[in-house]
Amino acid sequence: MLKITSLIILTAVLGLTSCSKDPINDLSTEETLVYQTNRDKTVDYKQYKTFSIVDSVLVVENNQSQTALTEVDRALLNRIIINMQSLGYTYVAPSAKPDVGINAAWVTNTQLNVTTQPSYYGGFWGGYGYGYGYPNYYQYYETSESYWLISMVDFKNANTTDKTFNVVWDAQIRGSGIGSTQLVDQMVNSVFSQSDYLKIK
Amino acid sequence: MKNILAAAFLTIAFSAARAQEAPRLYTLPSPFERYTHYLATVRYSGAMPLGSFSDSYIDKFSARNYSVSLEWVLRNSPLSIGGEIGSNYFQKRLPRAIYQNGDETISAVQTRTLTQYPIQVFANYHFLNKTSAVQPYVQLSGGAAIADYTLYYGSLAEQKQKIAPAYGIGMGSKFLFKKDGSVGADVRVKYEGTAFKYGYIEKGTSTINASVGLFYRWW
Repeated sequence: MLKITSLIILTAVLGLTSCSKDPINDLSTEETLVYQTNRDKTVDYKQYKTFSIVDSVLVVENNQSQTALTEVDRALLNRIIINMQSLGYTYVAPSAKPDVGINAAWVTNTQLNVTTQPSYYGGFWGGYGYGYGYPNYYQYYETSESYWLISMVDFKNANTTDKTFNVVWDAQIRGSGIGSTQLVDQMVNSVFSQSDYLKIK
Repeated sequence: MKNILAAAFLTIAFSAARAQEAPRLYTLPSPFERYTHYLATVRYSGAMPLGSFSDSYIDKFSARNYSVSLEWVLRNSPLSIGGEIGSNYFQKRLPRAIYQNGDETISAVQTRTLTQYPIQVFANYHFLNKTSAVQPYVQLSGGAAIADYTLYYGSLAEQKQKIAPAYGIGMGSKFLFKKDGSVGADVRVKYEGTAFKYGYIEKGTSTINASVGLFYRWW
């Protein structure tokens, strides 16, 4: 009897847990995109009039960085300029001492993760008073995530004691398809449109 | 003539008496009445979120719920006791919207999910006896649910897994396919609640489930 009961329970557990499916595999590329923006709430953006932008995108991979200017990078920078201008900022050359500067970066973080096979998978035979003599099996898997990071730096009120510039606004764009040229305009427009406090006119 | 009539009368009377006595073997109560027996049920159910779970997280009907139960139907008692494990899955997709999280503004398509694996013990009270083709019952259950709250912002996930107390109250009926048979159907409506609280779920979950099942009983 105990065997039949155990078998029923085991079958049930396996049956119930094995039929889960990925709830987001039906999302369109556009729907996977997540726009996150952060602001410094103490800042009054109306004090800024001019801005400039980096001439290439900073590519950061696992804390090593270089610059790049591919087609998608150029499209991104141009779209940022258009959005900043429509918010009322005047685009000037970096040498003209802009009030704020815009940085754009493509950040990739790769992580090596480790997991162990949980020992409770073997619980079915536990009733006989024996445990398992296996060592823990370790499994390694690598995950990698890339995102766009756009940040606005305050050049007007530099922190002279620390010699730092404050980041007064930033935007992160994540999801699948973020490297696609077709989605660049939509991505950049979205992060600016959800930050209407940046408007100065 | 009188003798013939008397003989005929006696024959009839005797055979009538025999007819009443002979099937005694077959009028023994069913083994399902005589013994405590086992009953296993597989159920499929539709579930609807209720209350604050519905208001604040998912208000969509779920058709992805299953359970298996094993019960001991007690001899000389209208009660049965047993255990049930199940799987419930709720999901809702929200169109792109803007969410405020502290100082951060997030624009995303939210996919809200909640998976629960309730493991409960239950007691059924049956209103009719075990040979009846229709056996209505009421049920009380209690236990715990392994809950997995996964909230997706686009393709990013926020996940919380927790074991929370769970309970339920239900009513239903068993229907035997054949008199004294081992196989039958089970229909049940049950309110289920858990004390799982996280994120949007601030007051636990509550659902109403309607299930159809098949059972097999043996002794």
